[in-house]
Amino acid sequence: MDIFLQQLLNALSLGGTYALLALGLAVVFSIIGLINFAHGELMTVTGYAICFALIWGLPFPLAVIAGLSVAMVAAFLMERVAFRPVRGASGTTLLLTSFAVSAILRVLFQNLISARPIPVSIPASLSGVLTVGPLHLGMIQLISIIVTLVMLLGLNLFLHRTMAGRAMRAAAEDFAVLRLMGLRANSVVATAFVISGLLAGVAGLLWVAQRGSVDPLMGALPVLKAFIAAIIGGLGSLSGAVAGGFLLGFIEVILQAYLPESLLPYRDAFAILVVIAVLLFRPQGLLARKTLVKL
Amino acid sequence: MKKNKLVLLSGAFAVLAATSATAEDLVIGLATAQTGGLAPYDQPNLAGLQMKIDEINAAGGIAGKFPIKTIIKDTRSDSAQTALVAQELVDAGAQLIITPCDADPSIAAGMITQAAGIPAISFCATTPTLPLAVGDFMFSNYPADNVQATMLAAHAVESGYKTAYILTSPDSAYTLKLPQYFGQAFTAKGGAIMGEGTYSIGQQDFGAEVTKIAAMDPKPDVIMTSAYEPDFPAFIRQLRGAGVTTPILGSDGIDSPTTFGLGDLVEGVVFSTAGHATAGSPLEAFNAKWTEKTGAAPDTIYIANGYDLGNVIEAAVSAADSLDPAAIREGIANLENLQGVTGTISYKGTMGMPLRSVSLVRIKAGDRELVAQGQPDPADIPAP
Repeated sequence: MDIFLQQLLNALSLGGTYALLALGLAVVFSIIGLINFAHGELMTVTGYAICFALIWGLPFPLAVIAGLSVAMVAAFLMERVAFRPVRGASGTTLLLTSFAVSAILRVLFQNLISARPIPVSIPASLSGVLTVGPLHLGMIQLISIIVTLVMLLGLNLFLHRTMAGRAMRAAAEDFAVLRLMGLRANSVVATAFVISGLLAGVAGLLWVAQRGSVDPLMGALPVLKAFIAAIIGGLGSLSGAVAGGFLLGFIEVILQAYLPESLLPYRDAFAILVVIAVLLFRPQGLLARKTLVKL
Repeated sequence: MKKNKLVLLSGAFAVLAATSATAEDLVIGLATAQTGGLAPYDQPNLAGLQMKIDEINAAGGIAGKFPIKTIIKDTRSDSAQTALVAQELVDAGAQLIITPCDADPSIAAGMITQAAGIPAISFCATTPTLPLAVGDFMFSNYPADNVQATMLAAHAVESGYKTAYILTSPDSAYTLKLPQYFGQAFTAKGGAIMGEGTYSIGQQDFGAEVTKIAAMDPKPDVIMTSAYEPDFPAFIRQLRGAGVTTPILGSDGIDSPTTFGLGDLVEGVVFSTAGHATAGSPLEAFNAKWTEKTGAAPDTIYIANGYDLGNVIEAAVSAADSLDPAAIREGIANLENLQGVTGTISYKGTMGMPLRSVSLVRIKAGDRELVAQGQPDPADIPAP
């Protein structure tokens, strides 16, 4: 029983990171219909920013703020430079553009910074452990659960209580009508990207804290997981992305914990099978939006 | 008209480029990765090799008469692209081809070079089956997985460990086979393997795996894994976080600044690597030379490893005293006890995976402490 509870906690922590990532994809997709595969590179940018801030002698909290700010600026620039010119183009064009942005950034990181991972000195206090009865919870795991909850709450408040948030929700419903109401499309889309940048930054921080280094390709796998999570949840649905993230984390941890040893090498295959099964029963995802209106 | 001029001009350049290799130039084709997942390994190897080549050319070429000319093409860490690039290099007249730090693209390139009768050397592929999969013109330039594993197993037995747990990933031959070779060598010496856990490369989540290890009763005496970044730091952080203090054995993948940046978490970890700079060793001299030339100390053994590939090529071509690819192959295959900067290197009597010295290093207060160095008894090495 203790072990099961511990595994549930593990699932919550992993699912939280996936949820943050999937949410970042969903915020942008819900408005302009773009799956931003360069989202992972925003995580990488955050990692490098934190790394260099620390090398320049900033204390850790300031380095984190610098990292998150750089991620938001990078997301804003990404939209301005790469995605605005193709806004409203077909889904394929948008997708290919995002692949191109991702590939260009990776090659730039490899050839301008370093192909080898650069160590990031994470404060020793983040390696601590919290022990509650028989349960162990690493500091980073704990922080990732708390941060995920805070981010979800904050985003929810933002979307429901502020003008910009309401505009974003309206844009997700019907972009054309939003513009007829006199709201500036560009600022709404830019806001969505900045928020996705912040989400990627937070996820990137948690990811880097766990691995202790930044390397040019580190964004590839997380964005893939986020994509799967967003699909299970229902593309374009924000709550769906969160549900998908937690479900994916849960599936992966439970399979790792309870598959017999001989089947363990096929864990990812089983996880994808479960995802396919979910999609067979809910082809639109768990919490799909009824209609999908694009610009 | 302008266009015609351009075409003429570029044609002239093409002719120039093709003829700039004189009859006595050794043309080395590099089908290695400047971008993609193998770049972190191929780039430092290339930097080390380049340094050696510059030294050779400054001295008038190998044995004073064979200057080296390189053709470098990026493989993007893609096997199909590596084969394509290898074909282009063969067509361009390369007499020796260097392939990436991994068995898969090296096999892809090897299929081309073997058929063309041109020797190929992988920068640092460690899979011992690589030359068997390609043929007698394929070599590697790094201690094989089973050799590293045998050294680690001998150390485990000497340390009095009776039981071990291995953590593997089926995602690469290195992360799967090296711990399994360790298991074979350890069992042959009287140890017992209590279980085998798995992980996915890049996943960074070991919560479920660590919970299983923490629940084992009795605990294994030692845990052996070939996980490297980003998996190794995440694994050890989560393992120690779950209160498991079992000693860890690792392999050369964790010989990186990131590992040493983990502080107390990695205290006491022992891993195998391709070299250790003891006082007065050739490696220490190389590191000093590199630092003087580039202004920064080498951050990975792969730089010295690339430099040693230059030593291998120099010795093989000197012995062959010819630029005929078949003669160069003979030269490599018959090298014995060549003194490189990382230790002695022998190809004679092997199938193409060199016998090289392996160092076992313990992490102590963020620094290296040499545990053992040398080559294991060939009789102890598990068959590939």
